[in-house]
Amino acid sequence: MNKIISVSDINVKIYTDKPSDIKVGEILGTNNNDNNYLFEVNEIANNIVTAIPLSSVIGLKRGVELVKVSDGLKIEYSDKILGRVFNSYGELIDRKLAFEETHPKNIYEKNLSLNEVAIDNKVMPTGIKVIDFFSPIAKGFKMGLLGGAGVGKTVLIKELINNIYKSKKSNAIFTGVGERLREGKELYDEMLESDLLDKMSIVFGQMGDNPVSRSKAVYSGLTLAEYLRDEKNQDVLLFVDNMFRFVQAKTEISTELKRFPVENGYPTTMASDVSEVEERINSVEKGSITSFQAIYVPADDLNDEAVQTITSHMDGQIVLDRHIAEKGLYPAINVFKSTSKLVNIEDVGKRHYELVENALKYFTRYEELEEIIAVLGIDELSKEDKDIFYRSRKLRNYFTQPMFVAENYTNIKGKFVNLEDLLDDVEKILNGQCDNIEEDKFLYIGTLEDLKPKGE
Amino acid sequence: MKDNNENEKTKKLQSNNLKNIINNISISDIMNSNSVNVVKSEDLPKTKVNTIKNETKYVLDKIELKKDSIITGNNIYGVGKVTKIKEFILEVSGLENVSFYEKVNIANKAIGYVTKLEANYTVVALLTKTNDIVVGDSVYQTNEELLGEYSPESVGRIIDMFGRDKLDDKKYKDTIKFRIEKEPFHIMDRRDVNRPLETGIAGIDLIYPIGKGQRQLIIGSKKTGKTQLCLDTIVNQANKDMLCIYVAIGKTKKEVKEIYYELVKKGAASYTLIISAFYEDLPTVLYLTPYFALSVASFYMMQGKDVLVVLDDLKRHADAYRQISLISNKAPGRDAYPADIFYAHARLLERACQYKNGASISILPVVETVGDDITDYISTNIISITDGQIVLSSKNFKKGEKPAINYGLSVSRLGGAVQTQEMKALGSKVRRKLLNYLETRDVYELANVDEMSSDLRKKLAEGKIIIENLKQYKYSPLSIDQIKSRFQFIDDEESND
Repeated sequence: MNKIISVSDINVKIYTDKPSDIKVGEILGTNNNDNNYLFEVNEIANNIVTAIPLSSVIGLKRGVELVKVSDGLKIEYSDKILGRVFNSYGELIDRKLAFEETHPKNIYEKNLSLNEVAIDNKVMPTGIKVIDFFSPIAKGFKMGLLGGAGVGKTVLIKELINNIYKSKKSNAIFTGVGERLREGKELYDEMLESDLLDKMSIVFGQMGDNPVSRSKAVYSGLTLAEYLRDEKNQDVLLFVDNMFRFVQAKTEISTELKRFPVENGYPTTMASDVSEVEERINSVEKGSITSFQAIYVPADDLNDEAVQTITSHMDGQIVLDRHIAEKGLYPAINVFKSTSKLVNIEDVGKRHYELVENALKYFTRYEELEEIIAVLGIDELSKEDKDIFYRSRKLRNYFTQPMFVAENYTNIKGKFVNLEDLLDDVEKILNGQCDNIEEDKFLYIGTLEDLKPKGE
Repeated sequence: MKDNNENEKTKKLQSNNLKNIINNISISDIMNSNSVNVVKSEDLPKTKVNTIKNETKYVLDKIELKKDSIITGNNIYGVGKVTKIKEFILEVSGLENVSFYEKVNIANKAIGYVTKLEANYTVVALLTKTNDIVVGDSVYQTNEELLGEYSPESVGRIIDMFGRDKLDDKKYKDTIKFRIEKEPFHIMDRRDVNRPLETGIAGIDLIYPIGKGQRQLIIGSKKTGKTQLCLDTIVNQANKDMLCIYVAIGKTKKEVKEIYYELVKKGAASYTLIISAFYEDLPTVLYLTPYFALSVASFYMMQGKDVLVVLDDLKRHADAYRQISLISNKAPGRDAYPADIFYAHARLLERACQYKNGASISILPVVETVGDDITDYISTNIISITDGQIVLSSKNFKKGEKPAINYGLSVSRLGGAVQTQEMKALGSKVRRKLLNYLETRDVYELANVDEMSSDLRKKLAEGKIIIENLKQYKYSPLSIDQIKSRFQFIDDEESND
């Protein structure tokens, strides 16, 4: 017999006379058809079980009896996942036909062993100039896309889906965690319209859902990705928008469970929660998972505990900056804070490496010069500094790029830029071959080739 | 009732209590007492029967319906006792059969709802209070979930979430009751946001357009014209078949009344509804009112109407929620706001949508900042929920560039998707030139004008004209055609090049 003895928003306590029959992670539910409340067991202390409800508990009373419904949250683990949309609890929400036969699998899979993890640093071009140049991506990478509110994380994630998923034709999993339902629907519609849905599956636990749903979406999405990696030996692209929301949802639950918080109210278990999911995102001998994780930066504070915890798992990070967005320069990537493990001579080659060094040197000097100019004006600069100043501005403008997914917004067609062209162009700008071209002309072009019709 | 109080210590207090009531008064007695709902306790003679009547007036109209089950011993209405009072949060003993989120009546002095069921007590948050509550006061169950009440007759008036008209302080007769908070709309029931919501402000309609079904944040410090921008938008909806709901959260009575008269004067009252939670209302009311307003909006959207909701403002809402959470002993997070403050706003703003039936809910939430800093916790939270933000700057306001939009920091995530081809082409050109001008202006401020290239000089001159053309006095909306003709020179210039 299990009876509810206390209820709050996302926490119920249950009295049980047989605690040995209940395990953490199991699903209990009311044995009543009109009002189906479900709970996941979280803590057991003697005869008192603490559980978190999967949906709203409005109308719930003390004394309600619960029975065991299943031994944990599950999601479909078969080929049928492709082209479908699930919620965090593994239920189909796309209003298409239900599965006739199901092969459910628990969403809390074990981590990979050290032996199983495979490493492969082969550069994977994204066609986005500033990313391919400053923080290139490899197969099997974990890339964090960091940014405060409204600086373009979601647009960048969508552009990456567009450029990599569409061109690679590999399988992809999109996991929406605590983000806008409107954008989720738009993604679904776009994939459907461009006939790309058949290689993708989607999990949504969006921002209007309760924290339990939001925290489970990641596990469900990972299970789908693992299916494609382990059972189908595929190279899988995993998009998570947004990993910070996972920590946020865990924080809400932890607060309700009255556990001690650490800095800024984050849960004590934050580091282990994050590593539990991040360590599942890895490549093995036969298949790989390359993941792109948007990471929201609360209050524009990059030193935020949660952001730091997540980025410690990343192979590279792209940082979006409000001050750059403010100037109308998109993608608003801060090149000083964006990094990648690949930027070394062994992986990207000597030429690329030296160009990056050079460009960063120019940009660093440019920042210093900006301060000088604010006081003295440009005319006071030496010839050498003037060159650096104007070339840096041109290079900065060159790194803006029209995006395919932002065509509606910019009214300019998107551009995919090859790495070779990119390196040539950067070299030309830095060694002064473009000194006689107006800096505005570099805004929102693909390659320098685009300037030719106007220049000639 | 005093006799009853002495009996209440026994465990079966709830059933005893009602049985006593039933024993003391006959049903006919109750049915004859028509005046029961309006009698004030001080008017009553101090006889036992009348006191009981007064105490139970809340349940009387339902007794007829439920009497069968009462007679057969299935007690319907539980009664508990207040054991602890902490501001607007009560702890109540008894009430074994109460549901989570149920509405309760506290000795006819106050209305509250259940926010927590503990093993041996119940936590009740107060909504309205007429008299001071003391420990030992009876708490009556209503067997009813806390619902908002709304009368469709209240368009053009100032109302609250309990179905009252605040202007003449009367309760509407025929109210519709509905859940204050509803489940989010199903993802497959949503459609693309692609119809423009015209604000009549060039800086918005041209550069950062808003669509029907969009949430666009209006953010800025005190005295930068946030509310004015919303009122301008409401006034511009005349004859556009739009229902506007202005939700005042934590405003003073004077402020709300001023807004009301403004709207009446501008002829917007016929399609505008003001839902108000005043500064002096309990924090629970401040917290729940915007959810209720969105339920009213859904009510109209389901009937096929486009609705515009202005939430003014969400910073006060966050503060009210923080107050509730901290008083309820929840652990504080960043800036002492509770961990679920993001969820509180996310699920509210996710109610905006372009629905499958063609109707929509658009939301303009307002957030007040301090010192023009939009990177504080609450502001960034809300920016991360909305589909864009219009940032107002006090510097621009003082310079006379009104509406004081900071074009660098403002964003519309839907952008051209909600504009006509022509406006989209013009808008993206103006925006590019403007942002480019603002950025160049800062860098070249000290440069020698004579040594500038002619291109650069032209760019700076053109930027100035754009800024000039974006100025607009309050309540002087521009139509799309007027906006186009104001900025036509950009297109003309380009073709001359």
